[in-house]
Amino acid sequence: MAIAARKDELRPGAADAHYDPTVYHPVTSPQGTEISIRDFKLWYGSAQALYGVSMEIQKGMVTSLIGPSGCGKSTLLRSLNRMNDLIDNLTVSGDVRLSGQPIFGPQVDVIALRKRMGMVFQKPNPFPMTIAENVTYPLKVDGVTNKKLLAEACESALKGAALWEEVKDRLQESALGLSGGQQQRLCIARAIAGNPEVLLMDEPCSALDPIATMRIEQLIEELKSSYTIVIVTHNMQQAARVSDNTAFMYLGRLIEYGETKNVFTRPTSKRTEEYVTGRFG
Amino acid sequence: MVDMAQTSDEYMDGAKDKAPASRFSMARTKGSDLTARGEPMVWAMGGSLAFGLLMISGFLALIFWNGFTAFWPKPLEIVTTVSGRTIAGEPLRTESYHPGAEILAALEPSVRDAIIDNGGFADRTLYRIGNYDFYGNDFEWVSAYEVKSVATPKDLMLVERQEWGVFIGTLISMDADGQVSNRPTLDALNAAHERTRALREARIAIEKGPVGDINHEINELRLSIRRAEIKYGTDSPEMIAAQEHAASETVRLTKEFDKLSAQVLAARAAEQSVTVKVADIGGDARDFPLANFVLYYFANDLSLAAKVQIYLERWWEFLSAEPREANTEGGVWPAIFGTFVMTVVMALLVAPFGIMAALYLREYARQGRIVSLVRICVNNLAGVPSIVYGVFGLGFFAYVLGGSIDAMFYPEHLPAPTFGTGGLLWAALTLALLTVPVVIVATEEALASVPRSMREGSLACGASKWQTIRWIVLPRAMPGIMTGLILAMARGAGEVAPLMIVGVVKLAPELPIDAIFPFVHLERSFMHLGFHIYDVGFQSRNSEAGRSMVFVTALVLLALVLVLNTVSIIVRNRLKRRFAGDKF
Ligand SMILES: Nc1ncnc2c1ncn2[C@@H]1O[C@H](COP(=O)(O)OP(=O)(O)OP(=O)(O)O)[C@@H](O)[C@H]1O
Ligand SMILES: [Mg+2]
Repeated sequence: MAIAARKDELRPGAADAHYDPTVYHPVTSPQGTEISIRDFKLWYGSAQALYGVSMEIQKGMVTSLIGPSGCGKSTLLRSLNRMNDLIDNLTVSGDVRLSGQPIFGPQVDVIALRKRMGMVFQKPNPFPMTIAENVTYPLKVDGVTNKKLLAEACESALKGAALWEEVKDRLQESALGLSGGQQQRLCIARAIAGNPEVLLMDEPCSALDPIATMRIEQLIEELKSSYTIVIVTHNMQQAARVSDNTAFMYLGRLIEYGETKNVFTRPTSKRTEEYVTGRFG
Repeated sequence: MVDMAQTSDEYMDGAKDKAPASRFSMARTKGSDLTARGEPMVWAMGGSLAFGLLMISGFLALIFWNGFTAFWPKPLEIVTTVSGRTIAGEPLRTESYHPGAEILAALEPSVRDAIIDNGGFADRTLYRIGNYDFYGNDFEWVSAYEVKSVATPKDLMLVERQEWGVFIGTLISMDADGQVSNRPTLDALNAAHERTRALREARIAIEKGPVGDINHEINELRLSIRRAEIKYGTDSPEMIAAQEHAASETVRLTKEFDKLSAQVLAARAAEQSVTVKVADIGGDARDFPLANFVLYYFANDLSLAAKVQIYLERWWEFLSAEPREANTEGGVWPAIFGTFVMTVVMALLVAPFGIMAALYLREYARQGRIVSLVRICVNNLAGVPSIVYGVFGLGFFAYVLGGSIDAMFYPEHLPAPTFGTGGLLWAALTLALLTVPVVIVATEEALASVPRSMREGSLACGASKWQTIRWIVLPRAMPGIMTGLILAMARGAGEVAPLMIVGVVKLAPELPIDAIFPFVHLERSFMHLGFHIYDVGFQSRNSEAGRSMVFVTALVLLALVLVLNTVSIIVRNRLKRRFAGDKF
């Protein structure tokens, strides 16, 4: 994968006559920008998936990505920690920075980058190990072997993920014995155990029941003070409940981005309005 | 296809506009016919499975029946023929046969007519008559029309001897240190037998232990001179020193050797002090040292318990003793041990090779045309005849690799090869090469089946590719890899052809693992159950003599493969259990 200037790249609006230029509502945060995305384009082989996305993700806030299926939310999210590197024939262009440092580029240390961002996936993916081993996996990766340190990190991460009370007596049991909701919170604990700056969540509640979903939402609320959170969701109420800012994407383009209440109550783009009111999607 | 004819008829009628509708309705009515429901296919599939199962279970039943009954003591019979000859033996099996024209012509008219009435067939029974040193023959066919009478006297005795195979006849007397007792009781015989056998074992222990050590030391001295010669030149001071040292040591060792020889001679005399006089059915009486009898019993005078005891004793001898009588008698312990060690060494060699190759192919190599080509080649390697691997193993491993090792590390042994000839290590390497495609294919499949979400989870935690493989992918793929290893081991343990070239021998004097430094001797040639079957069944002086051994050895080989596989399957299931309960 490389940053390539593609000759055949599509200019926004060049191919799609219905393209709306992105509407930006003002977004700010006291701490400033965490991730800045400028004109980011991405191709899977020859199929373009993202058409020049530009947005500033604010530090210490929850940013939700919404949009119909296949619009490129996961693609964008997985580009932030370069999870897409696993895919062959991927091309990107544009400028993406995490606290001012470029994310793409030959000199970037991908492993160091990923350590600064925790990721939670759509389906809980605990490793086939004990609960404690799962949580301390990022520390194991860093070569930490001190038992006391590991135990402390395990406890604080599990407490941070609101799972400690439920599993403190079974830390040495297999993580696969947990319920789906517990597994997802375990994955959140694992993501925060590495002490990242950003949490990326790709539909973290889509495999969970309403009660487990509620717990995760509460958790996001609590985590917000310590992490910058980017969450992909299909659930409009969820986006409205948990996020400070919302980005609406459509067909690989960012259509509208702004404070959640603005996007939901006074959408400027017609497409956004239709989507958030449930008329299409 | 079925409604073609009708459709074309309709086209010919010119009813083109109606055709679609009628085709549709026809398709509906044809929907439930036999071919559509696939019933003949189901029958064919079921039949194929049943046929396969039948062949396998028939094969297993044959081996099990013949293997498990081989050691059961059978009754002995004395057959008196119409011509007045008597034959004593163990009836083995009866069959119909077609007597030749000259034989028929020589028969009594009434007997001949009876045979002709029977379609030209007569029955005959195979007797094991033993006494090879008496008759020069162990087996004899007796036709049913020859038999005048059959008796089963209780005093008929069967003896398995250390040499010359089985003896069948009667016990006349026992001579213990000059004290002759006619027709000794079984208890007296047993007591004397136990005593002399113990003496014999003690004598063999001396021969194998201290005497063997002295031979080993003398050989080492000779090698030390040679080593000095190679290193410092002929007649160098070092070589002369080594020669002097060897000379003085040899004097000491020779003295010790003489002392031990005297001991052995004395032990041999004591062991031979008890002899028994036995006579065959024709009255030919001869004396044998009792210590040369391995096992004896009065076949027609056995209680069930005694039979069971003999049966178990024979099994024990078979599993724990060395072979005798050109492998047709005695045990197969060296072959069991050789097969086991070779299979384990092979698994230890093939596992790292195969797993690492598959890891590279699947995880690191750029998936493209070259990798596909490599994959096809690996799969096709499995189709190369195994004898070709044997030739390669001998040519490359033994002669090239082994030859270089000899030149570098064992120059003093030359021209006698150490590693430069077939041996356990080369055999194991050859089989590893033979089975590595199985391991590669299985490992690749196991790696591919590790869910992507696991790898992504690990990478997202900041793990490197190697850490992810090491901690997430490999443990998860382990059960599948083990399955590949199990298949490879089963294949390797049963392979014979390449081994005949790279190190298996008919009779190996030493086991590959023993008490002599460095304890594991991978350069030694070894015995193998598969080759043993071939050797006993097809290479011995009398195929009848090896017949039961073939089945018993096959049974043991099956059991050994079963044990190895069971152990690996238990290990695999342990691993699998860690990944159970994977639920959402
Ligand atoms: N590995 C891939 N190779 C090729 N095309 C891909 C790949 N992954 C995604 N795409 C394509 O890129 C586009 C965006 O996919 P993406 O997964 O980002 O959508 P999404 O917004 O996350 O959808 P959903 O809400 O259904 O998860 C889709 O058209 C999809 O088909
Ligand atoms: Mg998605």
